[in-house]
Amino acid sequence: MQASAAQPIAQRFIGESVKRSEDPRILTGTGNYVDDVQLPGMLHACFTRSPMAHARITSIDISAALEQPGVVAVLTGPQLQELVNPEAASPGFFGPAPVNYTVLATDKVRLVGDLVAVVVADSRYRAEDAAALIEVDYEDLGPIATAEAAFDPAGTPIFEDLGSNVLTQPALASFGDVEAAFAAADRVVTARIRQHRHQNVPMECRGVVANFDPETGRLMVHGSNQGPGLAKMVMSAQLGLEPDKVRVVCGDIGGSFGLKMGTSREEIATALLSKHLGRPVKWIEDRNEHLMASGHAREETLDVEAAVTNQGDILGFKVKMVVDTGAYPGMGGMLGGIVQAMFPGPYSLKGFEFEFSAAVTNKASYVAYRGPWAAETFTREVTVDLIAAELGLDPLEVRRRNIAFQPADNPASMLTGRSLTSCTARESLERMTEVVDIPAFRARQAAARAEGRYLGLGLATYIEAAPGPRGAGGGGIMGKEQMRMRLDEDGTLLVFTGQMPHGQSHETTLAQVAAEEFGVPFESVRVVAGDTDQVPFGFTGGSRSATMAGGASLHTARALRQKVLEASAHVFEADPADLEIVAGQVGVRGVPVSARPLAQVVAEIRGTDRLSEDVDTSFEVTNAYDGGEGGWSGGTHLAIVEVDVETGLVEIERYVVVEDCGKLINPAVVEGQVRGGVAQGIGAVLLERSAYDENAQFLAGTFMDYLLPTTMNVPRIEIHHLETVPLDPDVNFRGVGEGGMIIAPPTLVNAIADALSPFGVRIEEQHLPPLRILELIGALG
Amino acid sequence: MTLGEAVDVALTVNGSRREAQVEVRRTLADFLREDLGLTGTHLGCEHGVCGACTVILDGEPVRSCLMFAVQARDATVTTIEGLAVEGVMNDLQEAMRESHGFQCGFCTPGFLMQITAMLAENPNPSEAEIRDALSGNICRCTGYESIVNGVLRTIGAPVPESHPS
Repeated sequence: MQASAAQPIAQRFIGESVKRSEDPRILTGTGNYVDDVQLPGMLHACFTRSPMAHARITSIDISAALEQPGVVAVLTGPQLQELVNPEAASPGFFGPAPVNYTVLATDKVRLVGDLVAVVVADSRYRAEDAAALIEVDYEDLGPIATAEAAFDPAGTPIFEDLGSNVLTQPALASFGDVEAAFAAADRVVTARIRQHRHQNVPMECRGVVANFDPETGRLMVHGSNQGPGLAKMVMSAQLGLEPDKVRVVCGDIGGSFGLKMGTSREEIATALLSKHLGRPVKWIEDRNEHLMASGHAREETLDVEAAVTNQGDILGFKVKMVVDTGAYPGMGGMLGGIVQAMFPGPYSLKGFEFEFSAAVTNKASYVAYRGPWAAETFTREVTVDLIAAELGLDPLEVRRRNIAFQPADNPASMLTGRSLTSCTARESLERMTEVVDIPAFRARQAAARAEGRYLGLGLATYIEAAPGPRGAGGGGIMGKEQMRMRLDEDGTLLVFTGQMPHGQSHETTLAQVAAEEFGVPFESVRVVAGDTDQVPFGFTGGSRSATMAGGASLHTARALRQKVLEASAHVFEADPADLEIVAGQVGVRGVPVSARPLAQVVAEIRGTDRLSEDVDTSFEVTNAYDGGEGGWSGGTHLAIVEVDVETGLVEIERYVVVEDCGKLINPAVVEGQVRGGVAQGIGAVLLERSAYDENAQFLAGTFMDYLLPTTMNVPRIEIHHLETVPLDPDVNFRGVGEGGMIIAPPTLVNAIADALSPFGVRIEEQHLPPLRILELIGALG
Repeated sequence: MTLGEAVDVALTVNGSRREAQVEVRRTLADFLREDLGLTGTHLGCEHGVCGACTVILDGEPVRSCLMFAVQARDATVTTIEGLAVEGVMNDLQEAMRESHGFQCGFCTPGFLMQITAMLAENPNPSEAEIRDALSGNICRCTGYESIVNGVLRTIGAPVPESHPS
């Protein structure tokens, strides 16, 4: 018992708002973003883009551009296409695209901002000068500006090999007894729910520096990409290089939110040009290009029929969803499956029918944006409020009545299949009623209305498969998470992750888990990410990193600790079970004087001749984690707003979050993710729109047209955590990246609808800028 | 004088005298980033809205994407690289770290310079004044609360709880 006070105390890092490892460089201007990469002899690419939405290129004259000072090369679409590996299929979101297309447009352009030609020059200024001198003549083919137009068989096909503008033909799926559900209904509530086109808008635009070395035949790509391994695959295929000749390295990334996944046509073109010219080539997108052509999301219409009883039981839904995927295929065509699977949410239904189709239009490609399948939550949660309004019931009571009960011994399943085990929608809803005094608000609301002020309260509930329960579509969604760890001679624990953090603070959170599990100070852990020569294949997305990479970090650290203890046993002459690693020291449990620093123990192990050859002293472990028992993230959000009926402006008086992402690794990081997501949801409802006119001409090409939320739009956001349902013996961290953006839009729309209920307003859409509010209440005459 | 013509420019950047020949059309941002290698200043929109490129020029916050380098002749410029003192982060930087102020870090230089200029003028701003002064800087990650908290922490003002009971 003696001297137990001197025993190093095991350090807890999980659950602490540990200060971020990323911050010393980010706060001092010493980060390394893709535009910071400057290489000797580096050239700059600039694209000439189409001003037309859908047109045939009848002639193109690059002669003036070629004569400009500093210009090294000018290539048209057909010229660049000759550099592409002819065996490679057009790259889709994951795997080959469903239609064929070229890197630059060769015969026709398919959206405003389509790529027509590229200039490479010795400075960006000179490249832009020359690109502006390229003369292109077009023959208008008639824009397909809407999904409705895309379904008209008389329209000109945007992709000839598709033969029409319907990417995914309507397909119907049915669950439970739909007819019985509708036969038993007292009434059917219908709505046409619309999400509008808006977009990710990371503060850093896209960009790449490609550096092909003709001597070695190797391509080095400095990227800004959520999945360097995926980028390597695409680059290797498109350039016709063996994968071992391609290395993708990403440094700091200035945000993405789903956009910078896969490899864009501009990035492929830049790499082709580097290989062609044998010199490094940089392309940095400008904001106008970004808003116009990097990709858009969310333009979806869902026709809903809800079978309900007069008491507020929701018996079933019939839903027809149409997504406008824009031109070049991105993620849009793949949405149907996940929206369908998730549509019932936490609610108990008797029947559900879902039809999905996807249209091709002359607009920017549909890309993944934070909660890409959020249409299901928006539609369901807005429809629940419409049901309540139609029946004269309280939306809170309608939710209480329909959320599936979860007895611990017999969890319910969604009608579409997934188990709802660990779903805490009901708990979050009830917690919200404890946090917010709703009856007191109703009294205040009534008093305000008497004064001509319009307050509203809205709430919405969601669940997110982050990663989802074990089993079909559950734990381990999108594959296992790989991780490699190595204990270095100096006692540093190196964590090689396939995650590619771009604001999520993985350098901090994965180190917290590894440090606590391995038994070293937080400062002794270094997380290595974003170099395909060093890290396992992976990507950051789908709110999967908390469970998948957090779990991989825990289990890999545990396996490596065991390996170190087994080897240490030889120099301590003790049983491994009697040894421990605490605060970076190896020692015999209960014998503090035996403790020695890891670096010293590693040196002793490698220096001794007492070890048999079969003892592994590499102190490196590679592991794969399958998600364990997984589980649902989710929660309930509530907003109190005031709508100024003179100006149409909406002010958010209070915004409250009750969320459950299991055990928090770093509360400040979790809350940052929640607040950031809510802010984007606020932007989506009140400000942001990637607007086109009826000729598919783009109208939102600057930050004066595409409005983002500022300090004046986003209020303080109260956050209350539920940390429920320990499912797995070790890993109960669940994802939180997307939730705020999924649930904030229906929360706000329901609050605004509540505020405007005296006007008899019925809101079925997501975008509610001042003009639209005034239109809805009939104030525009 | 043509756009591509180079002219001599001398100015003080982060306390050091810098002299260079620059094209007349070269922006201050590109001059700082590419010619002086000070890549801490970021370009988020290149049309003066997002504020990521904000630097302090003769005491005033300016958008370095909207200025030409020649306009900064003989000026004193401070960028994010000039905030830390002998490698030690200053109070604002430490407070931002404590507050988990930022996430991806791309808007960060503009915010830090805008805040520095604000505090020079008003060392004890209220939350409303902070929000007003920062309303021309866009952050896409955080929802701003952590940034506002970082400013409050810098000036020693109380930081509201994120989950009041």
